[in-house]
Amino acid sequence: MRGTLNDQSLIYLQIAQMLEDDILRGIYREEEQVPSTNELARVYHINPATAAKGINLLVADGILYKKRGIGMFVASGAEQALRDKRKSAFYDEYIKPMVKEGASLSLSGEELLTMVRKAIEEGEEK
Amino acid sequence: MNPDVLRAEGVCKSYGKKEVLHDLDLTIQPGKIYGLIGRNGAGKTTLLGILTAQNTLDSGAVTYGGQPVWENQAALDHICFSRELQPTLFTGPNNLKVKHYLKSAAIYYPNWDQEYADRLLAGFKLEPKKKICQLSKGQMSMVTILIALASRAPITILDEPAAGLDVVMRERFYQLLLEDYAQTNRTFIVSTHIIEEAASVFEQVIILDEGRILENSPTDELISQFHYISGREDIVDQVCRGLEVLSVQQMGRHKTAAVRGSGVKLEAALSADVDVSPMNLQNVFVALCGHGDAQ
Repeated sequence: MRGTLNDQSLIYLQIAQMLEDDILRGIYREEEQVPSTNELARVYHINPATAAKGINLLVADGILYKKRGIGMFVASGAEQALRDKRKSAFYDEYIKPMVKEGASLSLSGEELLTMVRKAIEEGEEK
Repeated sequence: MNPDVLRAEGVCKSYGKKEVLHDLDLTIQPGKIYGLIGRNGAGKTTLLGILTAQNTLDSGAVTYGGQPVWENQAALDHICFSRELQPTLFTGPNNLKVKHYLKSAAIYYPNWDQEYADRLLAGFKLEPKKKICQLSKGQMSMVTILIALASRAPITILDEPAAGLDVVMRERFYQLLLEDYAQTNRTFIVSTHIIEEAASVFEQVIILDEGRILENSPTDELISQFHYISGREDIVDQVCRGLEVLSVQQMGRHKTAAVRGSGVKLEAALSADVDVSPMNLQNVFVALCGHGDAQ
């Protein structure tokens, strides 16, 4: 969870994103309870309906599930499911903007690929 | 129909020759926190007064659960409008003491929670024996907040509760509001000029402009319809076709347009060589109600 919310994207999306990040980081493990809508509302000064909207997004994706009368829990297999989801979003969120930015700098496709290869090599060296 | 809906239909109100509310319709659904925003003189306090039968209307009707609110004790028992306190009354300085206000609120509101009121009084460090005219503006706001919260009224209305409060107290106020709401799930209507820090608290936002309701929508749905598009003038103009352009700013060949439109309409802009950035509620408010005054 981050300390504060920003106003660059909708709050319920940020709530969902933060919970996802924390699941990927192992802060909330599978079959563990996540904060309730009222806790989220209190900590981030947001409307509980907004917090619930964020949580429901993850319920719809099968990442969280509800235990009646207790609260929301991380589903088993959630970590892998999140990784798969992030991978499929990777193309739209990272690759496409990169190619667009490259085009506005008049970089050729080959130049772009060379840069990507270089970055991968540098990453492997570390 | 839900029994707890507060509804205004065709409300008109003039002060002398000046009409301040024009044929206004508004529905307040139970169990939500509403934010009411509008510029100075937009008619916010007049509207809130009329909704709670503290002000007369020229035509139209206000109903709660289908019954008129005017002089209807049963309906008004469910509604608390905590008005801003005034340091002076017709007769001179407001010499009433804090405890007098609390005592009359306890008589007036059937759900009054004295234990909660005492807790807030101590938390706000308010002295019951102080006269209203001796309080600072912030302390007067605290008294109105205290009365609104402790009234436990199913519909609770706060007019400018943040006025005069320092930033720590404003945060404390929204926290108290959310804690209360989590427990009671009652309806709140809160008017404010400090929009951005309240935006995340409002589930629904009502924008009042020149006596008309411009919007009454879920806050995030409203915000997601608005964007800034900026880039080279001709490209911005091209992608703005089919979008509602609310305002433009130009610096040389660089142009920024504030637009309304999302989804398919925005696709042209997203694939073109322009920056598309989101707005916050304050930006939306200025775009809708600015009327060019800001430039």
